[in-house]
Amino acid sequence: MPREDYQQQLADLEDDVLYMSEVVLERFRMGLDALERKDADLAREVIEGDHEINELYLDLEQDCIDLFALQQPVAGDLRFIAASFKIITDLERIGDLATNLGEYALEAERDVFPDVDIQSIGDETLDMVEDAMAAYAAQEPEDCFEIAERDDDIDAHCEAASETVVRDLIETELDEREGIDEDDIETFMTEVSRLLLTIRDLERVGDHAVNIAARTLYMVENDDALIY
Amino acid sequence: MNNQIGDTDTETDTNVSTDSGTDSGLGATAGVETSTTTTAGESEEQVRDEWTDYRFDGPSKLTVENLDVWYGDDHALKDVSMEIPEKSVTALIGPSGCGKSTYLRCLNRMNDRIKAARIDGSVELDGMEIYDPNTNLVELRKRIGMVFQSPNPFPKSIRDNISYGPRKHGEINKGLLARLFGNDDSEKEAELVERSLRQAALWDEVQDRLDDNALGLSGGQQQRLCIARCLAVDPEVILMDEPASALDPIATSKIEDLVTELAKDYTVVIVTHNMQQAARISDQTAVFLTGGELVEYDDTDKIFENPESQRVEDYITGKFG
Repeated sequence: MPREDYQQQLADLEDDVLYMSEVVLERFRMGLDALERKDADLAREVIEGDHEINELYLDLEQDCIDLFALQQPVAGDLRFIAASFKIITDLERIGDLATNLGEYALEAERDVFPDVDIQSIGDETLDMVEDAMAAYAAQEPEDCFEIAERDDDIDAHCEAASETVVRDLIETELDEREGIDEDDIETFMTEVSRLLLTIRDLERVGDHAVNIAARTLYMVENDDALIY
Repeated sequence: MNNQIGDTDTETDTNVSTDSGTDSGLGATAGVETSTTTTAGESEEQVRDEWTDYRFDGPSKLTVENLDVWYGDDHALKDVSMEIPEKSVTALIGPSGCGKSTYLRCLNRMNDRIKAARIDGSVELDGMEIYDPNTNLVELRKRIGMVFQSPNPFPKSIRDNISYGPRKHGEINKGLLARLFGNDDSEKEAELVERSLRQAALWDEVQDRLDDNALGLSGGQQQRLCIARCLAVDPEVILMDEPASALDPIATSKIEDLVTELAKDYTVVIVTHNMQQAARISDQTAVFLTGGELVEYDDTDKIFENPESQRVEDYITGKFG
């Protein structure tokens, strides 16, 4: 096949994007673990590792720009590079959200709301990203629709979790805590808002997974159904 | 020997030799490695009618139906049907020997000049059959002008290059007789020369030396002069066969800008080997493959972003063969 060097560069780009996704998913897994175990060392490792993801992201971005400029890709090649260019942005954002998890883990002192299952929502979103990347690697359009549908579940779980927190706050917690001092209320409020932020971050990871699926669908089928 | 656009009898060797240097399709199909096998492993891809059934708004300028061309036993163009929209740029791309130049030449009956060529089918200009035996070829080629790969100005002054065609067509009277009878059109000529050179974006560069020999111009200027010469007879369609392939990038970009500008008033059909050029300047693109087959014809962005044919995809991404 002609243009062998170019074909190799395309193959390398795909490998690199998949590698980046592995790194990001691992960091996110670590962030969830750090949060569950209140493991400060692990949390710091996630936070400090973010610059690696950023560097990977910038390198891959440059690779895409070089391919656009030097090879003038068209048709399937064009869609592959354009989709990859967008997908690495989503991966980089997921990396940032993993860092957030690390920071929450450092700050969190105890579980104020054991009813809210952060870990299971986190696992679900992680699965979605993994599946979206698998669809990208396998160029599998059907899976993209399925991933997009799963996001509704994530959204519902996140909404339910937020509601639990707020309802709990209104109905019971404050009654029981009457007579506690200002400092305790302050700490409690910080815990609550941190938990709400965590839920929102997980919900966003789901959105990024849908973005990846949407770009993959565009890449494979030139179908923008999931983009809008 | 003359060299005149739009004049059957006076086309020169310059043109003919230029032609055979490109992919005129003259025996070119033999030995060209085009295959119906795709990289996706399909052993034989069948062209589907909907791939070439291009729909567009607005009137069509040229309507080609079931056009076949043979050079001797060589079937150079196979059953091509295509409608070309008015006032737009249509690019014809494809590997050497695919028949795109043959096709272009059929649009103003340039293939009539090749004795071994046999043409079957219909080409209509504004609904009028150009292959009608009563067609006036001089008139036809005035309406459908042509620009070739290598600039081929007459070895005359810049001014004469422009005014030659209109004078030949009797639109400008000049010379001793005209002066004697008081219908000298010198002013009209000056206007026409300026207007044509301006349209071809050459006026600023040559206005001070209109009487210099055109062969003293650079290649890019010569090519724009040929375009100006083509415009001087007021055509409706301009056929361009690789007009920028012999030019440097700056001259090329001037030609490309010019093509875009011309499409506001004229219907431009351009053959190019440079796919990026086709992508940059054309509104719709027709891809010819495998010895004379029109495989896909659609909006240019559709062809370059999401072609239907795997063979077209293989060709434009460079995986051909």
